[in-house]
Amino acid sequence: MASTACFVIVSKNGIPIYEAEVGSTPKKEDLAYQHQFILHAALDVVQDLAWTTNTIFMLLHDSRNEDGIKSFFQEVHELYIKIFLNPLYLPGSRITSSHFDTKVRALARKHL
Amino acid sequence: MDPLRSYLGRLLLEEITPVVMVLTTPLAEAACRKSGLSFVDMLSPFSLFRKIDVPVRTASDQPYRLQMFKIRMVYASDVRKEDCEAVDERIKPIVSEANENALLDLLSEPPQLEDVLSKHEAELCPLWIKKFNRELMQTLSFSEHETFDHPVACLLVVSSKDKEPVSKFVDLFNTNQLPSLLNEGIMDPQILKHYLVLHDQQDGPQEIAVNILAEMKSTLGLNDCKLLCINSSTEANGIGAENSLLPYKAHGFHNQEAACSLNTDDLNEVKDFMQDLASNHIIPYMEQKIRVLNQQVATTRKGFRNQIKNLWWRKRDDVPEATNGPMYTFTSIESQIRVLGDYAFMLRDYELALSNYRLLSTDYKLDKAWKRFAGVQEMSGLCYFMLDQSRKDAEYCMDSAFSTYLRIGSSGKRNATRCGLWWAEMLKTRGQYKDASSVYFRTSNEEPPLHSGVLVEQAACCYLLSKPPMLRKYGFHLILAGNSYYISDQKQHAVRAYRNALFVYKQHPWSYINDHIHFNVGRWYGVLGIFDVAIKHLLEVIGCSHQSVTTQSMFLNDFFHFVQSMGKKFDVYKLQLPIFNMSSLRVIYEDHRTYASNTDVNVSESIWQELEEEMIPSSSVVRTNWLEKSPDLRKHKDSCVCVVGEAVKVIIEVRNPLQIPVTVSCISLICQLSTSLDASNAEDGVLIIDAGEDIADIANTKPTISAFENDENSFTASKLDIVLGGSETKSSDVIEIVEG
Repeated sequence: MASTACFVIVSKNGIPIYEAEVGSTPKKEDLAYQHQFILHAALDVVQDLAWTTNTIFMLLHDSRNEDGIKSFFQEVHELYIKIFLNPLYLPGSRITSSHFDTKVRALARKHL
Repeated sequence: MDPLRSYLGRLLLEEITPVVMVLTTPLAEAACRKSGLSFVDMLSPFSLFRKIDVPVRTASDQPYRLQMFKIRMVYASDVRKEDCEAVDERIKPIVSEANENALLDLLSEPPQLEDVLSKHEAELCPLWIKKFNRELMQTLSFSEHETFDHPVACLLVVSSKDKEPVSKFVDLFNTNQLPSLLNEGIMDPQILKHYLVLHDQQDGPQEIAVNILAEMKSTLGLNDCKLLCINSSTEANGIGAENSLLPYKAHGFHNQEAACSLNTDDLNEVKDFMQDLASNHIIPYMEQKIRVLNQQVATTRKGFRNQIKNLWWRKRDDVPEATNGPMYTFTSIESQIRVLGDYAFMLRDYELALSNYRLLSTDYKLDKAWKRFAGVQEMSGLCYFMLDQSRKDAEYCMDSAFSTYLRIGSSGKRNATRCGLWWAEMLKTRGQYKDASSVYFRTSNEEPPLHSGVLVEQAACCYLLSKPPMLRKYGFHLILAGNSYYISDQKQHAVRAYRNALFVYKQHPWSYINDHIHFNVGRWYGVLGIFDVAIKHLLEVIGCSHQSVTTQSMFLNDFFHFVQSMGKKFDVYKLQLPIFNMSSLRVIYEDHRTYASNTDVNVSESIWQELEEEMIPSSSVVRTNWLEKSPDLRKHKDSCVCVVGEAVKVIIEVRNPLQIPVTVSCISLICQLSTSLDASNAEDGVLIIDAGEDIADIANTKPTISAFENDENSFTASKLDIVLGGSETKSSDVIEIVEG
C-alpha cells in the first residue's frame, strides 16, 4: 500500500533531533520540504496542548491505520529510551546512530 | 463590542443600503461633465448621512430614530450582474498597485519577531487588502436571489434644455433601457419614482426651468418633482473650484482638468436635495412597503393554522421550475417576504428581518431552492450578529450558508467567498481568530490563485493575532500565500510574504524549510533585480549537503548567475564553500631550524626554549633567584621570530560538502601587520596571520580587516588553484613571503 509518511522527533525548543521519510512511495525530493513545513506548523497546535515532556514525536501520514501507528510509536519510544540511556548522548542533540535509523525504518515498514 | 461599531457592522451599514436607480438624459449628463463628474459622481459624496435623524416606524408601534443612513446611487445600465472575468480584471489592479508600493519595503531589513508582535491589528492588515475584500464582495451585486440590491426608487433626470421634458421622462423609463431585474419580473416594477429637472446656470436664467417644474408638477405629481441648479460658479478655475472639489476628492474622485463649475451654493443645493430624497421619500416609502407586506405575510403565513397549511399543502403549481431551481417572481409570497426582510434590515429593524428570514429558510429548504436558502441563512447570520445575540446560531447559519453555496457548484462559488469573508469578519470581531483563519483558508480554496493568495495572507494575520500567537502557522501560511502570489505573477508580493515569514524560521535546523525559503527568496529578489540581497540569501543555501545533486547544481548555478549579473567585483562574507577545517591549520616557518618532518611542527616551541635557555640566556634580566621564570618568554610562546624575505607556509584542509565538483581558484592569505601583541610592548613587529584566504575575489574574513591590497608592508602571497571533487578533502599549502 503506497503511502507517504514522515517521522520527526522534536526536542523541547522545536529543534528536530531526528527525521526520516518512512513512506513506501518512491521518494520524491521536492516533497521533502513540504512535509517539513506541515510538521513544523503542526507544532503550534501540538504545543498548544500543554506538552509537559521534553520531546515530541510527530508522524505525518495519510493512512487510516491507527493501531499500527500506535504500536509504531510505542516501539520507537523504546528505542528512543535506549538512546537516552547512553551516558555519552547529549539530550537535545541530533541522533546520528545509524543503528537507530535502520531500526526505525524497519519498524515503519512493519507497522505502517 | 457593539456590533455597529465593529468593522463588519460599519461595512454592512454601508454596503447593504437601498439602491436608487438613476436614469439621465444625455444633456443632463453633459451639464455635469462640465465639472468633470458624472451625475452619480456629483451626488455620491452626499449620499452618506451621519445624522439624518428620521423617525422610523416599521411593523411595531414604537418609532425609533435613524441616525446613520446611506443610499447608493447607481445608473440603470449598471444594475446588472457582472461577468466573472470582467470582475476579476477589475480587482487585479488593486493588488498590482499595492505590488508597486511594496517594492520600497523590500530593500529594508526583514521584520523581526518583536516588531511583528507589537503591531496593532489594523497595521497587520494593510488597507489594500480591505479594499480588495470590499471589491470582491461587491462583485456579487444585483443578483436575483437577494433583494437588498434591487432598486428601491428610480430617479429620472432631465435637463432644462431638453425639448418636451415631460415626455422625456416617459422615454427614459422605456423598458429597453431598464435592467433585466425589472423586465423579467424578478422585482416589482412599481417602484418609487422621483423626477428631477437639472438646470445649468450657465445656459441662462432660471425661469425656463421653473416653468418646466410647474408643468411636471401638474402632470406627474406635486411631491415627486424637484429642480436642481448647478454650475452657478462664474469662474471655472481658481480657488473656488478647488474648494468645490473637496468633497469629491475626499470621496476618491480625481478630476483631471481641475475645472469645476460648481460653487458652494450648488453643493449645498445638492446636499439638501439628497437629504430630502432620503428622509422624505425613500425612508417613508420603505416604511410603507414594510407595513403593507407585513400585513400580507401575517394573514397568509403567521399563525398556527397557516403554518400547518403551509407545511402540508405547499403548492408548487404556481412556482414554475427552471434549471437552477424554482423561479420565484416578485408576486410569489416568498419573494415578498424576502423584500420585507431586506427592507427591515436596511432600516435597522433586525428583529423583524430575522423573523422573516427564518420563515423563508424553511420554505426554501422544502422547495430545495438551495441558492436562496443559502442567501437567507447568510442574512440570518448577519442579523444575529447585528443584534449581538446567540453567537452559536450566527455561526451555524453562516456555516450552513457557506456549505450550501459550495454544494450548488460554480454559480455559488463567489457567493461562498463573500459569505466566508463576512463570517471571518464576524469571528474576528468576537476575538475568535483561530476560527477566522480556518474560514479564510477554506474560502481561499475556491478562488483563483491571486485571490487565494490574499485570503491566505489574511488567514496568516489571524493566526498571529490569536492568543497565544501561532507563529509557525503564521509563517507557513505566509509561505503558501507567497507561492500563490508568485503563480499569479505578483512577484513583489511573493517576496514580501516570504520576507515576513523569515523570522519564524530563523536559526533553526529544519534544513529543508530553510533551503526552500532562502532559495526562493533569493531567486525572486534576483528576478526583481535586487542582486545583493539575492546573493545574501543564496549564500545560506549553497552549502547544503542533504539535497540531491540536481538541487545542489541548481543552487550553485543560480548563485553564479546572480554574481555575474551584479556586473562588478565585490566582497562576499560568510561563504560556506569550500569548508575549511580550522583544526587542521598549521603554520610552518622556514627558519634556521630545520625540521625532520612535518609532524615535528606540532611540537611546541616551549620545549626547545627551556633547553635553549640552559645554554643561552635569551634576555638579560636580572633575577633575584633562579626560581623566578623569565617573564619575557611567555609572550612569544606561540609566535616565532621570522626574518624578512622568509617564506611562511600555512597548511589547511579543505573539504567540499557537495556531491558536485567545485573549482576554487586564487586561494591566498590575507595578512595584517600589527605592532603590538597582547599587553606587552615588543618593539619588533609581529605578524599575525589570520585565517583568511582569498577565493577569486570572494573573501572569507571578518569585516574588521580593512586593508587587503594596500598594506604598508607589502606581502607577496602565492595563489593556489585547486579543484575539489564531490565530497573530497584536500590538504593545501599557501605560502607567504614578507618583504620590505
